[in-house]
Amino acid sequence: MTNDDFSIIGKPIAMVDAAGKTTGAGKYTDDLTMSGMLVGRILHSPFPHARIKHIDTRRAEKVEGVVAVITGKDAPTPYGILPVGHDEHALAVDKVRYVGDNVACVAAIDEATADQALELIDVEYEVLPAYFDPEEAMKAETNLIHENKLNNIEKDYHHVFGDPEKGFAEADCVAEARYIANEVTHAAMEPHSTLAAFEIDSQTGKPGRLTVWSSTQVPYYLQHKLALVLEMPMAQIRVIKPLVGGGFGGKSEVIPLEIIAAIASRAARAPVKITYTREEVFWAHRGRPRTIIDLKTGVTKDGRITAVKARVVQDGGAYCSYGVVTILYSGALLGALYDIPHIQYDGYRVLTNKPACGAMRGHGTVNVRFAFETQMDELAAKLNLDPAEIRQRNLLQAPCVTINGLRVQSYGLPECIEKTVERSGWKQRKGKLPRGRGLGIACSHYVSGAANSIIRSDMPHSTVNIKIDRDGGVVVYTGASEIGQGSDTMTAQVAAETLGCSLGRIKIVAADTDLTPIDIGSYSSRVTFMAGNATLRAAEQIKKQIAVAAARKMNCPVEELIFRNDVVSRKDASVARAPSPADLAENQPTVSGHVDGQILRGSLQQKRKDEGPKTSMSFEEAVVAAIDFHGALTGTGSYAPPPAARGGKHKGAGVGPSPAYSYSAQVAEVTVDEDTGEVTVHKVWAAHDCGRALNPVSVEGQIIGSVWMGMGQALTEEMVWKDGMLMNPGLLEYRSPSSVESPEVEPIIVESIDPEGPFGAKECSEGSLAATIPAISNAIYDAVGIRLHEAPFTPERVLSALRAKTAHKKIDLTEGVDPTAPIHFREHGGALWFRGKGPERHALDPARRETRAETGGDD
Amino acid sequence: MSLPQFTLLRPRTLQEAVGALGKHASNIRVLAGGTDLIPSMRQKLFEPKYVLDIRQLAELKGVYHHPGGGVSIGALSTLTSVEHSEFLRKHYPVLSEAAATVASPVLRNMGTIGGNICLDTRCLWYNQSLTWRKGCGFCIKKDGDLCHVAPGGTKCWAAFSGDTPAALLCLNAEIELASESGVRRMPLRDFYTGLGDTYRTLQPAELLTRVFLPESLADYRGAYRKLRVRGSIDYPLAGVAVVMKRSNGQVADVQIALTAVNPAPVLVKGIQQLLHGKAVDDQLADAAAVLAAKTAKPLTTSALTPEYRREMIRVFTKRVLLEISGQWPVVSGR
Ligand SMILES: Cc1cc2nc3c(=O)[nH]c(=O)nc-3n(C[C@H](O)[C@H](O)[C@H](O)COP(=O)(O)OP(=O)(O)OC[C@H]3O[C@@H](n4cnc5c(N)ncnc54)[C@H](O)[C@@H]3O)c2cc1C
Ligand code: SF4
Repeated sequence: MTNDDFSIIGKPIAMVDAAGKTTGAGKYTDDLTMSGMLVGRILHSPFPHARIKHIDTRRAEKVEGVVAVITGKDAPTPYGILPVGHDEHALAVDKVRYVGDNVACVAAIDEATADQALELIDVEYEVLPAYFDPEEAMKAETNLIHENKLNNIEKDYHHVFGDPEKGFAEADCVAEARYIANEVTHAAMEPHSTLAAFEIDSQTGKPGRLTVWSSTQVPYYLQHKLALVLEMPMAQIRVIKPLVGGGFGGKSEVIPLEIIAAIASRAARAPVKITYTREEVFWAHRGRPRTIIDLKTGVTKDGRITAVKARVVQDGGAYCSYGVVTILYSGALLGALYDIPHIQYDGYRVLTNKPACGAMRGHGTVNVRFAFETQMDELAAKLNLDPAEIRQRNLLQAPCVTINGLRVQSYGLPECIEKTVERSGWKQRKGKLPRGRGLGIACSHYVSGAANSIIRSDMPHSTVNIKIDRDGGVVVYTGASEIGQGSDTMTAQVAAETLGCSLGRIKIVAADTDLTPIDIGSYSSRVTFMAGNATLRAAEQIKKQIAVAAARKMNCPVEELIFRNDVVSRKDASVARAPSPADLAENQPTVSGHVDGQILRGSLQQKRKDEGPKTSMSFEEAVVAAIDFHGALTGTGSYAPPPAARGGKHKGAGVGPSPAYSYSAQVAEVTVDEDTGEVTVHKVWAAHDCGRALNPVSVEGQIIGSVWMGMGQALTEEMVWKDGMLMNPGLLEYRSPSSVESPEVEPIIVESIDPEGPFGAKECSEGSLAATIPAISNAIYDAVGIRLHEAPFTPERVLSALRAKTAHKKIDLTEGVDPTAPIHFREHGGALWFRGKGPERHALDPARRETRAETGGDD
Repeated sequence: MSLPQFTLLRPRTLQEAVGALGKHASNIRVLAGGTDLIPSMRQKLFEPKYVLDIRQLAELKGVYHHPGGGVSIGALSTLTSVEHSEFLRKHYPVLSEAAATVASPVLRNMGTIGGNICLDTRCLWYNQSLTWRKGCGFCIKKDGDLCHVAPGGTKCWAAFSGDTPAALLCLNAEIELASESGVRRMPLRDFYTGLGDTYRTLQPAELLTRVFLPESLADYRGAYRKLRVRGSIDYPLAGVAVVMKRSNGQVADVQIALTAVNPAPVLVKGIQQLLHGKAVDDQLADAAAVLAAKTAKPLTTSALTPEYRREMIRVFTKRVLLEISGQWPVVSGR
């Protein structure tokens, strides 16, 4: 089927919630308010690692306007997003494990009162030695961050596929190097916010049902964890997701404030709202861990990969979060992009005394892809091959199953490479640009949802219900979480196309656990594929019912009917013509997604009047006929990935498999100022295979956003640590690119039409990110001949690498870490282990001993 | 983060304003555009009992040319108005260039030139929330007794990070300070102490009212270059302002000032002697650049390493000198 066969799919359509957002009428969690609502503020740990000996909240409780003060005692049940990682407490019970860990919460009549009370909570800590560098943390034997995690290793995996030794023996050329990617975070525009309210039973005066409004990507998981920690049945908890201002993975698990607000609300017997400050968002974090990648790749003379060996160490922070999944993705997605016959992977997820890392756009793949694609470029240079061509020589022969058990059915990578090469003028321009200007290419891919949910079960990953009323209004109930990515619009499109009705008839009710069936959430780019398929199935089910009734009225077999443009007609009927432009204009989607029932009813009566031979019926007529025939008109559909897509049997095989993979190829054009080391990205050509673009503007938006976010990680974004202190917990010092640096991005949509995706669609919002970083690093090499192995490529790092090549007077611009051959993470900012009036740290802390020696230990 | 409690005073005349300052001198803060003061108050860096909102003092707004007597700029003039003043662009280009690089358009609409001159010095260990600073154990500049940047020392090295003062120093600007006891005028360079904590000589009861630019420096060539990671929003990590007058292709007068690399914006000493009477060439520009870099004493108060920031003072100085001597572009990737 081509896009011409569709009325709504494949057309550029405005987001159904755009008007609400642009006019300000739409409500985000922090916009919500209730009578009697209190404000919650959280007390955070000033220590990276300490035992809590005693907490005294009495002084805080006495403050006028304070209603409740809660601590870890009030909800001692541990939880965590992964069943294997229940290591978090909403409020610390025995220990704090990073600067910013949650200690207590005050619910008060306003923020200032709560802030004031926080200062009056007395906490007695026993300070413990802390670990900040993952390779140091792995050596530790005592004072472990979690007692049951030996050597502070959360999890390690050792995978061998094929025979890597043999593969390397067959190689003509082997490259081996260490790559380091520093830590980045999501920086979603909307800070996390949660409002929790209990219904107070009017007879007993006790808190009854709980309703939680929260900025979350996963309402269902939130409901699940709230039930666990609050010891309530899930049915007694309702989670509603209002508008969400971006998540990027940062809201794809339960964040402490969500549980703290509920506990505080229960204690205070009043609604409590907590909205994080930006600093607290940085502490809640769950971003991309800083990662050490030791990578070895072997290739033959003609560029065929013979083997890959990777050792990956992730600095995961103080809690498990999604960590086990992250470290598995890093290894699993070495496969499924290129044809690699032999793979060895050793992955270590390590605990350190820093905020927990978690899932972030391109989960687990991005840093390894940076290393891999940079090394590919290095090998191409060694072999004197064109970097685009070496990639073309290693393509998969899809459909296939990779050596590590990933099933690939649709594979648009060849076309992605071809198109970017063509549009960027690669062949004509590469190597011929003026000095300081260069082109670089890189590829990436990503899952369209995980084939195995984190709760191992056979339950559907998405379920969608649809009901249609007599006036032809269609209501779709979906648990899928719109977080700005366009899931509501996708759902409306799929439903409208399947039912052959106009978009304006569709109303979406989403992400409210009381109303909508279970959907496991918006993460791992699963919604279009899975919730889209569930919507498709629900709509098909209901369409079948309409068809039966309509066929009776028209006196024809069901198979003869076509549903399109608000008309149900017989295939042979002359009315089943292609829609005229006038029809199309009439059927333009209204932005609100609402249908004015009155007007429809009027036109319905009009239509009823005219009697004639029935070769076609309006959508309303068909709906009325179906309701008269069947009774209520409802449909339901669900989706679970097929067993064939669920991967191999080895330990950790559950992560990586997906029903379909997206593909991306990018060319970046940059200039490098050789005096300052500043890199300017001028243009990025980004081709992305999304199966079918259900809504091309939306796909383009996702591609542009991914490139932009990747560029941030490539050039400017970096969480800077000093002894566990995050030096830049704000958007001024954590530098996401501004509009000034944003390059032109030319999105190129490639449609491989996946056999299992809804209308052939796959993911489009994560896969492009990972290619941007190596495309830029490779372009820098093309421009000035330096290979950076440490991201981001800040001006000091670039200049330091440039200076190393010239006879320039030696200046240490990068604190002793050579960005072309980094060994360890560099600590930035001040150089002092503090000895001031503030809290003392543990005398045995390794960092402390060192600095003492350096500074003469004058305390 | 909530604002601390305070009483807001909104004087309608300059007299009322200085009266209030005199009365509450020990516990009051002036609010102009508020773009620096308000975030700092949220971080509990300042918790004054009174806040004096001077935005109604219309007499402190605007750029006025007094033919023969130079230019006066009201302290409350927004950076946008300085950036867009046709007169300043034409006659004092270094200033409008510097103003145009401050923060972002939105902040320039709010931020004033007076606030930019009075701007607090900055440091990563200081411009943080109260909770954060508790974690690091505070420091000399606020609530503590040591410096994380220069351990062992007793001095604060927080960097002055305003853009326009570098340009104003080059232009020999003077400032006018008003208090209950009258008005005093001083060269801008005497306003800064060179210390990170007590960085300015403004008395608690004084208000900065005007900035004066001498007529004699009108029409000097000038340029400002700023090191920042992003093209917008970021404070300077290093800044170089240069003004120059030439006759017969030779330097007749020149000034170079630096910002964001010391606790005060500073003029580079000895530059006049080095360049006077000579035509700027590559070698001379190099020598001047080395001199400028020697004046810069950046420390780890901000992003990017001090070594890099200092090196950029050198690179930028050389570039700007060649540029305003008409030899640009010389060596450049962009
Ligand atoms: C995100 C962000 C980025 C920024 N980037 C830059 C940048 O790149 N470059 C830069 O230079 N600045 C930057 N700033 C700082 C600030 O916006 C500007 O310096 C601005 O000019 C300050 O002016 P204001 O009127 O807002 O000052 P205010 O905040 O009102 O005042 C600042 C200080 O000066 C005092 N003060 C103000 N006016 C007077 C007066 N007339 N008499 C006596 N005391 C006075 C105040 O009491 C206060 O201590 C940035 C700020 C933010 C929030
Ligand atoms: S330079 Fe030292 S004393 Fe000054 S603000 Fe920074 S850490 Fe504090």
